[in-house]
Amino acid sequence: MEFVKDAPIVRYRKVSKSFGDRPILKEINLDIAPGEKIAVIGPSGSGKTTLARLLMTLEEPTSGTIEVDGNQLWHKTVQGKLVRADEKHLHSIRGKIGMVFQHFNLFPHMSILRNVTEAPIHVLGLDKEEAVERAVSMLKKVGLADKLDQYPAQLSGGQKQRVAIARALVMRPKVMLFDEVTSALDPELVGEVLTVIREIAEEGEMAMLLITHEMEFARDVADRIIFTDGGRIVEQGTPEQIFYRPQSPRLITFLSRFRAG
Amino acid sequence: MWSWSFTWSILPQILEAMKTTILATIVGFAFALVGGLVLALGRRAKNRAISLGTAGIVEFVRSTPLLVQLYFLFYGFPAIGISLSPFSAGVLGLGIHYSAYLSEVYRSGIDAVPRGQWEASKALNFSKGTMWRRIILPQAIRPVIPVLGNYLIVMFKETPVLSAITLVEMLLTAKMIGAESFRYLEAFTLVGILFLILSYGSSLLIRRLELKWSRS
Amino acid sequence: MMVSVDLLPLLFQGAAVTLQVTALSMVVAFVLSFAAGFARLSRIKSIRVASSVYVEVFRGTSLLVQLFWLFFALPLLGIELTALVAGVMALGLNYGAYGSEVVRSAILAIPKGQTEASIALNMSPWLRMRRVILPQALAIMLPSFGNLAIELLKGTSLISLITMADLTYQGMILRTFDSSRTFEIFGLILVMYFVMAYPLTLFMRWLERRFSAGRV
Repeated sequence: MEFVKDAPIVRYRKVSKSFGDRPILKEINLDIAPGEKIAVIGPSGSGKTTLARLLMTLEEPTSGTIEVDGNQLWHKTVQGKLVRADEKHLHSIRGKIGMVFQHFNLFPHMSILRNVTEAPIHVLGLDKEEAVERAVSMLKKVGLADKLDQYPAQLSGGQKQRVAIARALVMRPKVMLFDEVTSALDPELVGEVLTVIREIAEEGEMAMLLITHEMEFARDVADRIIFTDGGRIVEQGTPEQIFYRPQSPRLITFLSRFRAG
Repeated sequence: MWSWSFTWSILPQILEAMKTTILATIVGFAFALVGGLVLALGRRAKNRAISLGTAGIVEFVRSTPLLVQLYFLFYGFPAIGISLSPFSAGVLGLGIHYSAYLSEVYRSGIDAVPRGQWEASKALNFSKGTMWRRIILPQAIRPVIPVLGNYLIVMFKETPVLSAITLVEMLLTAKMIGAESFRYLEAFTLVGILFLILSYGSSLLIRRLELKWSRS
Repeated sequence: MMVSVDLLPLLFQGAAVTLQVTALSMVVAFVLSFAAGFARLSRIKSIRVASSVYVEVFRGTSLLVQLFWLFFALPLLGIELTALVAGVMALGLNYGAYGSEVVRSAILAIPKGQTEASIALNMSPWLRMRRVILPQALAIMLPSFGNLAIELLKGTSLISLITMADLTYQGMILRTFDSSRTFEIFGLILVMYFVMAYPLTLFMRWLERRFSAGRV
């Protein structure tokens, strides 16, 4: 594939996931190149959120392996054999991944500033001054530098989501996951969040996996679009290919339903 | 050290005393169900003296130990000419004490009845009594029945305190057996196990009822 | 109440013992609440089972039965406890069992998204508990802990039944000097318990307000 020039930063190899006896993902293979922007579209229940949650270590794959920057994520090698990773191993790899959630998941008992400085100080071990400096510049970037001392409950949904983006960015991940980040927002607040994500995407150096229902946004931002349905990657390609020359019947139905809706 | 034959030999005596424990629980709880409702309604009275007075009584009763309340009823009242048997002082004490707790339970139930219900009752020109009896209380009490049930169990577990005013229930029976034979271990352990079986069993029952109810 | 002044020195002595036992038991109960509360959420099954057994046994048998068991029955197994140790242990174990349920349910009440966001920020399990989950859970625990603290204070009156010279015990002593004043003695003791418990109620309400500030 033409997009993958360098060694991939993320590699899914035959990754399956089921909840009980309900399969969600079936033998997914997917490479993400450093800096690549991928949008994942598909009907709800197609497994696209699970794809991100496995990489963020929020769910454990039922089978298959995921590599991050050349290292196994869910496994480690002990005496030549792959064994299930422990928390220490996960901790060492997880720092390369960041995530923004559908429901923001800000910490309600912390001010906006502390929401953003908490992990840099206590996970990265930055001193307070440096963490605050980083956090403030990040909050400036998302346009919320005037809200430092407020609490999440005082912000609108769009503002909360922008704080959540700053909170994830400040950790400087190599891959950033956006899990339907506008789905919980009132329609008039969607724009401000998408604008921020567009700006981040344009800076370029970070790979992004965007799970989204915003087709126009996906088309503009992504280098590659992945269409999932029934736990499989049914079709993938450039936005051009996916939106204007879809091949599979399922993608065609999906897109037409979208246009109609 | 532990004698099974002794344990079996005292079991009938303790089970006999369990009747007193259970009877005191039932009578005390019946008292508390009524008393709690009276206090809950008293707190809602328009007359400020009544509502504040009721609130004060509830706070006071909840903040003082049942044991001392029982002493007050059992040893204190005769000094002003009212003598109560251990059983009546016991169930009266339990009843008063738990009235205060149950009034809060009723209150939460009443507060949870939607405003529209009050307004509709008014619009239909129900009398106050009818409104409370037919509209508000049925809706207020049903959802708090599991909580009331839990208080029944809590009260049951507090009945051993009645032994302090010489009511011969399970614990006092065990204590007398222990004093006679120096076999406190079997006697008290047996009482503990009986309490555990009854209270754990009934709490499981309540949980199941609750589940069944929340589904329907 | 002017006539009561002569009763006060002895009652104050008793109240000091009551407060001392309350404070000691609170420490034990607090530690056990967290230990058992966390244990019930453990990934290791045997730890979960052990802590549920502890919780159900101490919630299911009555406090007074536990107190008598520790004080009267345990010596027969070769373990002699002083009245103070038996009292503090019984109160601590009993209210620790109730407290562990408070801790457990408060932690479970924190939305899953909070844990997920902490994982996404690569916080270690300990960090996420300490800085994200617990601070939020503590605010939920406060009202219940406040109620338990008052129940514990009231519960200390039972140690008078194992010869500890607390406030209730002093009442029984004073009564033997002049039983015609029993009404007055126990009335006064009730007021003294109220005076000790009510500030606790007010303090908890104040803490609750403070904790919820800025976060709503």
